[in-house]
Amino acid sequence: MKMDTESTPGTQSTGSTRGGSPSLFSSAVRVFDISVGEMLWSRRTIFMALVVGGPVVIALAVRAALFLTGRVGRVDGVAMTGQAMFGMMIWFFYLRFTVPVLGVFYGTALIADEVEDKTLTYLFTRPVRRGAVLLGKYLAYFAVTSLVVLPSVMIVWLLIAPIGGTGLAVSFIPLLKDLALLAIGLGAYGALFAFIGAKFKRPLLTGLIFVFGWEQAALMIPGYLKKFTIAYYVQALVPHAMPQEGVMSLIQGLFRDTPSLPVSLLCLAIIWFGFLWLAARTVERKEYVLEQ
Amino acid sequence: MTKRTRYFMAGAATVLALGLCTGLVAYYGGLPALSASRTGPDELSYVPADAAVVAYADIQTVMNSQFRQKLREAIPMKENERNEFEEKTGIDVERDIQYIIAAMSPDAANGGSRVVLARGTFNQGRLEALAREHGGQIQEYRGARILSRMVAKATEESTEPRVRRHGGKHPALAFVDTGLVAIGDEAGLKKAIDAHHTGQSISGNEEMMRLVGDIEAGSNAWAVGRFDALRNHEKLPAQVHNQLSAVKWFAATGHVNGGVSGSLRAEARDDAAAENLRDVVRGLLALAKLQGGSDPRAAALVQSLQLGGTGKTVILSFAVPAEVVDLIAKSARHHTEMERGEAPEPPEPPRPPMPPVPDR
Repeated sequence: MKMDTESTPGTQSTGSTRGGSPSLFSSAVRVFDISVGEMLWSRRTIFMALVVGGPVVIALAVRAALFLTGRVGRVDGVAMTGQAMFGMMIWFFYLRFTVPVLGVFYGTALIADEVEDKTLTYLFTRPVRRGAVLLGKYLAYFAVTSLVVLPSVMIVWLLIAPIGGTGLAVSFIPLLKDLALLAIGLGAYGALFAFIGAKFKRPLLTGLIFVFGWEQAALMIPGYLKKFTIAYYVQALVPHAMPQEGVMSLIQGLFRDTPSLPVSLLCLAIIWFGFLWLAARTVERKEYVLEQ
Repeated sequence: MTKRTRYFMAGAATVLALGLCTGLVAYYGGLPALSASRTGPDELSYVPADAAVVAYADIQTVMNSQFRQKLREAIPMKENERNEFEEKTGIDVERDIQYIIAAMSPDAANGGSRVVLARGTFNQGRLEALAREHGGQIQEYRGARILSRMVAKATEESTEPRVRRHGGKHPALAFVDTGLVAIGDEAGLKKAIDAHHTGQSISGNEEMMRLVGDIEAGSNAWAVGRFDALRNHEKLPAQVHNQLSAVKWFAATGHVNGGVSGSLRAEARDDAAAENLRDVVRGLLALAKLQGGSDPRAAALVQSLQLGGTGKTVILSFAVPAEVVDLIAKSARHHTEMERGEAPEPPEPPRPPMPPVPDR
């Protein structure tokens, strides 16, 4: 597959907004309707099932261990409460892994998969704007990942939160915050990687380097570099204490400065909608040449 | 969208919605089982979330223990007082009370509040009649019956000191559940009932529940709490106060049977503070060993003390074996007899010398 980066500003493919053609939103809804099933029942679903199923299996194992031994898990000889365990799972499984990884795998594939499968031409020959194709596919990504990740978090919460004296009532508000920040994270990472997928060659590699290279390194370096990551703003919204496990976590914790809630939300909104707009603009303007 | 996709999305949305509804119901106190503690006794749901110290004692086990029997033999109780209390209230402490939970909240404005929850068998009618007899008022609060101002109409001279002892608050008693009474001041009792109904109880206090969850199974008495609450409440000498200022949390556990064993765990501010505290305790233990060398009871007691813990934790454990308890009980019995003026049994007189055998 070869993607030519030659751009022809202002040019529109067949099906751009013209008199009588559907609006951007209705076109996006139509693309969403088609894409959601394709995305859900693709090979990536197995990967997604493993990623979000892991924490559920661990939560079930913790429950089983509690049922059999009657004791909760211990860290340094101290019994852990369900709330603390749930907080750790949110940090380790969802925030640091699931959200960015799903963002990379699905976000970069929105356009790149169509290019690779040589089906982009068929999409672009439809009487819809190119941007609507990207927007519809992005909405499908957001719906699919949210409807897989958030129920997984919910099941883990129901299994873990009541352990060790912390009832559901106490951890309910933090759960709402968790669900909201995970949804925001999926949205922001998805938008960024949708842009990367539309713009760059080898978007998956670029995305993985961003998530596991740049973000991790920038968070460890004192100074302003961390402001050029998404994790910096998402982590500021987490209602649980940052776990200090491992050297990287310790260093990140050491140099951690937390932006205020309004700043985090504003920056995430800018990243989210900014990159989504950029991605749609790139798709509208870029000429994709499919390798024969 | 295919039917399969629609089903999947509907299923995922249902899981999400069900979870949120469950959380919402629990949040508003509709699911006490999910809102309340699974660690420690269920009655912790009546302990307000801001409680600084929580203590528990399994009265039945302690009362029926060999240790208690030995003590009772050594130091006989005043049966008259006990019988009088039972006659008035219908409560035989040894038989009717299973366990108690006590909590202390650092309510700075009102000098703190204490609540004692007792699980057992109580004759509600008899207690209410007794309260009325003493001018008490009975009121309903969130389904609980509160007996308050029980001493207000009694003779002022006799009630004044008692009221002062409770920090100017009148003692009250509430029947909060079947077989569960709460004793404290009226405001404290209402706070406890609120904590149970709203789910905002100590069960949601992560640090406290961590300490409660860490208590060894089989302990029939324990206390956990914030150490600063004790420091500020109790009038400790300045030197001791300074030394203990590094301690943040404490947990004391005890197991009573033939002997007594237990541990006192303190969590210091940081590793250095914990090391300092360990040094101080080590020094005190060495001093105690020197002092108690001649007395076998003290020596056995001191020998059982073990200092442990790593990092921020300092643990002092002890085990008093049944033999040492026997010795202490024997000594206490002797002391009691002396106090009563009963002369100890005289030693046996020496045998008369044998008459000399004449030489042949």
